[in-house]
Amino acid sequence: MLKDVMGVIYTGENDANLRELTMMRAIAALPVAGRYRVVDFLLSSMVNAGIRNVGVIMQKNYHSLMDHLGSGKEWDLHGKHDGLYVLPPFLTRENVGVYSGTLDALRSNTNYLSRSKQEYVVLCNSSIICNPHMDQFIQFHMDTNADVTLMYTCEESMLRDEMGTYIQVADDGRVTDMEVDPTHPTHANTFMEILILKRDYLRDLVDKGVAHGHHELSRDVLMPMVRDGNGRVMAWEYTGPAWRLDSVQGYFKFNMDVLDAEVRSKLFADDLPVYTKIRDEMPARYGENAMAVNSLVADGCIIEGTVENSILFRGVRIAPDAHVKNCIIMQDGQVHSNAYIENCILDKQAVIKRNARLIGPNAYPIVIAKNVVI
Amino acid sequence: MLLAGGQGSRLGILTKTVAKPAVPYGGKYRIIDFPLSNCTNSGIDTVGVLTQYQPLELNRYIGSGAPWDLDLNNGGVFVLPPYQKGKVGEWYRGTANAIYQNMAFIEQYNPDYVLILSGDHIYKMDYNKMLQFHIRNGADATIAVREVPWEEASRFGIMNTDAESKIIEFEEKPKQPKSNKASMGVYIFTWEKLRKYLTEDEADKTSSNDFGKNIIPKMLDDKQVMVAYQFDGYWKDVGTIESLWEANMDLLSTPLPIDLHDKKWRIYARNPGYTPHYIAKGATVTDSMITEGSQIYGHVHHSVIFSGVTVEEGANVQDAVVMPGAVIHRGAIVRRAIIAENAVVGPGCVVGEETGNIAVVGNGITLPAGVSVTAGQQVDASTTF
Repeated sequence: MLKDVMGVIYTGENDANLRELTMMRAIAALPVAGRYRVVDFLLSSMVNAGIRNVGVIMQKNYHSLMDHLGSGKEWDLHGKHDGLYVLPPFLTRENVGVYSGTLDALRSNTNYLSRSKQEYVVLCNSSIICNPHMDQFIQFHMDTNADVTLMYTCEESMLRDEMGTYIQVADDGRVTDMEVDPTHPTHANTFMEILILKRDYLRDLVDKGVAHGHHELSRDVLMPMVRDGNGRVMAWEYTGPAWRLDSVQGYFKFNMDVLDAEVRSKLFADDLPVYTKIRDEMPARYGENAMAVNSLVADGCIIEGTVENSILFRGVRIAPDAHVKNCIIMQDGQVHSNAYIENCILDKQAVIKRNARLIGPNAYPIVIAKNVVI
Repeated sequence: MLLAGGQGSRLGILTKTVAKPAVPYGGKYRIIDFPLSNCTNSGIDTVGVLTQYQPLELNRYIGSGAPWDLDLNNGGVFVLPPYQKGKVGEWYRGTANAIYQNMAFIEQYNPDYVLILSGDHIYKMDYNKMLQFHIRNGADATIAVREVPWEEASRFGIMNTDAESKIIEFEEKPKQPKSNKASMGVYIFTWEKLRKYLTEDEADKTSSNDFGKNIIPKMLDDKQVMVAYQFDGYWKDVGTIESLWEANMDLLSTPLPIDLHDKKWRIYARNPGYTPHYIAKGATVTDSMITEGSQIYGHVHHSVIFSGVTVEEGANVQDAVVMPGAVIHRGAIVRRAIIAENAVVGPGCVVGEETGNIAVVGNGITLPAGVSVTAGQQVDASTTF
């Protein structure tokens, strides 16, 4: 059955609120939770459900994403049949390579859609982190004979003013109303930008939408469909944890939440492993006077100082007498001796030199860009 | 050709169900990662791994060879168990016989030289440098040697050499060693010569078909050109419980005696794909090495913790090697011990002692609450409490 489902991940969403973090990369390529990239979660979720054909539509700054995904080997998507398809933007006469929305992006990749053989498509964005049982979602869609099934969550932390798509769901699972980017959401169910439908049906929607000058799937296609009742739109509830990575604070909160063992056991459940690129670092080493509490530490780290409530990615060095509190330090970051940093996000290879002090306000962490030395 | 068929019986219960090269080491590695990574880093892209004893775990681990970049169209890594030839089928009778039985495999690649390795040691070595030395000396065989302390020399195969590194005599475990150059079990042969000697050795019914006992002495008798290639880096035999424990403890000293951070000579391993490890509030970790997927709530000092290990609140782990998936329950004390894969140390257990030999809890063994395991004791399924 699942052989008949393909996946498409759109990675071109708006990332202005992530500031320096997405200056050089797509949200999908943003490093999270000590060793992952955002895209790993949904990609693994699809693979865990048995999906063997996944297209990743790229838009901006996609170099680091391509570098991360490689041949798709880590996700077992490097076979002869199907596998991982990286779909970068390209120029044609009717297409300038800049997508104004998911619909646009799909139109540019109709070739990939029409060449694929699967009957169904799971389509998603990349700015929401979650790890759903995709197989249950797919099964629900087939059992209910829906035209489209949307995945949603009741998680309150997902509600935002002026952004997001919210739905009203009837007792039988039918979607009865939808609002896109409301001033205040009136429905408590957040559409997670993950949906499933027949591939032919999607192609049809894309063709019609484009012919009417539409760009966005939710606003221009799904909302009218729900309102006018000219399509059976169902909804499936995801009950696991979910996060919106729509700002620096959102990014910070997600990482800090992962320090909670219970959250970790749900997001990284045994039957839903999350795969990622491997770096072959030696295990982390702790020095004689190391002090680490409530922290996640990846391989390749050397900790000789103090680390509290923090997330250290691969290859991070914390020198003797350095003190790190409530921080996220990405790959190969360094904090030299006697430095003190609190509420900071250090992008890759950032260095905090001796005796430096850097304290961000609680709700608004300081972001140190890639390769910056302070 | 990597000889990985031995049981490694001196590792006791640790090799009851797995071959020695598959024994975990250094937090995230297995012993075989070292020779395999050395091969790929040295530019050797065709490797045969000869297996015989308990090969399942090893086969699964090697898989397609992708972790070592040995999943190639031309060459790659091949697992070579003994197989039936015509009406005859037999086990590998010795190291030389194992290679003899795989001559057809070697001939497929028509090599000029063949490198023979074992899966018993932890070291980083550029085999290509050794090959260049072999070629420069116009040798028929080159044997890698390492200077060992004189008092230990009688435990090794010792090479007596002249000023030009030519081997003049080989003595297996001599009582009065004339040199302290010990064979590392790493050989390079000119294939044509080796083929001839393997064939002759096979015909000799009195031979025990072993490189050290038969092939090398015979070649020396025949005045073949044999040279010793001196290696000076870190090299550790992990053939016994004590030496395996010591080799793990070596990774906790500063500076590291074997640099595993070296980006130019990475040691590759099959990755279990866990989250980073977690150190909880109230935990203490000092002087230790910890890898991904572990959860530390207790106290860890001077220990090597492998992937997916849990150390519960109030547990105390010191001078210990805790292998993948093991659980140390609350209040347990583990000292000078090896806790093997997926073993469970029950609440309040005491494993090992401050001094004395290393205590071992075998693969998958569950120690009931409050049990004591004394220094040097090995606990397996047959142990009763």
